[in-house]
Amino acid sequence: MQTAQMWEPVKHVLPARFAKAVEEENLTRGFEEIRLRVGRAVEVSTGRASCFLSPEAGDACFTAQDAAETLERLSRHSVYAYEDEIRQGFITLPGGHRVGLCGRTSVTGGRVETIRNVSSFNIRAAKDLVGISRPLHAYLFDDAWLNTLIIGPPASGKTSLLRDLARSASVGMNQPYALPHKVGIVDERSEIAASVHGVPSFQFGERVDVLDRCPKAEGMMMMIRSMSPEVLVVDEIGSEADAKAVTEALQAGIRVFSSAHGASLQDARNRLMLESLFSRGAFERYVVLSNTRGKRQAVVQTSGVTS
Amino acid sequence: MMLVGALIVLAAATFIGFEASRSLRERPRELRQLQTALQALEAEIMFGTTPLQEASDKLAGQLNSPVSLLFSEFSRRLEEQGETTAEAWQRSADGVQAAGALTREDTSILVEFGQTLGRFGRSEQQKQIRLALTRLSQAEASAREMCSRYERMAKSLGFLGGLLVIIALV
Repeated sequence: MQTAQMWEPVKHVLPARFAKAVEEENLTRGFEEIRLRVGRAVEVSTGRASCFLSPEAGDACFTAQDAAETLERLSRHSVYAYEDEIRQGFITLPGGHRVGLCGRTSVTGGRVETIRNVSSFNIRAAKDLVGISRPLHAYLFDDAWLNTLIIGPPASGKTSLLRDLARSASVGMNQPYALPHKVGIVDERSEIAASVHGVPSFQFGERVDVLDRCPKAEGMMMMIRSMSPEVLVVDEIGSEADAKAVTEALQAGIRVFSSAHGASLQDARNRLMLESLFSRGAFERYVVLSNTRGKRQAVVQTSGVTS
Repeated sequence: MMLVGALIVLAAATFIGFEASRSLRERPRELRQLQTALQALEAEIMFGTTPLQEASDKLAGQLNSPVSLLFSEFSRRLEEQGETTAEAWQRSADGVQAAGALTREDTSILVEFGQTLGRFGRSEQQKQIRLALTRLSQAEASAREMCSRYERMAKSLGFLGGLLVIIALV
């Protein structure tokens, strides 16, 4: 993604004096998170380090007034149009950045109705890592795409890898040779495709359909019934319903790329709901990601045997 | 020479009278239009969840001047950015007041409504619109009464006032 494309939507949301400070500190490219908290200085973290901004003019702290105005800009002056997003705690910006929200929630009938007085914003930069799945293609494709489960701790790059795999499947490959496949993405948390108004922010090639913000299990069934995908991509499976839907997809001859939390293969296996999938050998390949000392590594395993 | 001057004074005074009566007639019409506009906005919010700027653009195209000015101006200001929603709305409302027959009280209803615009979820936003609608329709009723009571009087008062000035000067 171009720097300008990446920074512009964020710049538009930030209060002007902080946007200027980010530009002056040369962080427009490198930031991973920008955190705005009422009454506190603005924090920018780059993954390796974090710093607090000190704007040239005006209040050094992020004020309640700033928060109200930031929410206005985020919601394009129309909070009512973003009710669902706010209820779920985040708004996706054009370009795929996600803005997490915190504040006083108002609860009706045990359900979060909305967040009032939003007091913290967390702007997380979307990084589109094109080509990160390339080294794995030889393991994950053997005449056909193999059913793959990506396992890793948080922030180890599961979703980025899943996204790149979806792209590779949709675009097709030369080495090993693969035709473009029809890919269906069930994107419950809008993380894979970062859709804005239902249209993906990331480039996926021609053959991708995205079901945005749809509960995974139900979404998978909808995809299977109506969109005839050849490859189904779904993030963070874990519940019994998810496992059932994955089984359903496999029985329909659909290839599944998925991910699950866990530090190791055994770790993921220990989770009750996934065990049934493991014992039936639902997945043909497991990619275990680790994130040690900032270095991301991937190990491919076929049901327990390292290859 | 004196006759020409007298005629000019009379014409001017009559014109002022007619203008006053016209604005008495226009005000209820504009208030009515504002209500139609807010109802349309409510529909956009409730059923389309259309963001304000797009909704305003749509409304500006459907309405007649000067009420359409409120929405075209509002949409333009939102697009430009740099103003809060309430500020942009208030300035647009002031523009309508200057261009039409609305009074300060009428615009204050609008401005107060503008403070809530775009800040709430749908159901709450709807309540705010309903509140503004009720107040606008009250204003309309009183404007109609004013109109029926003073419209003709304003016309004749203008003419007679002109005569009075002429007599006083002669």
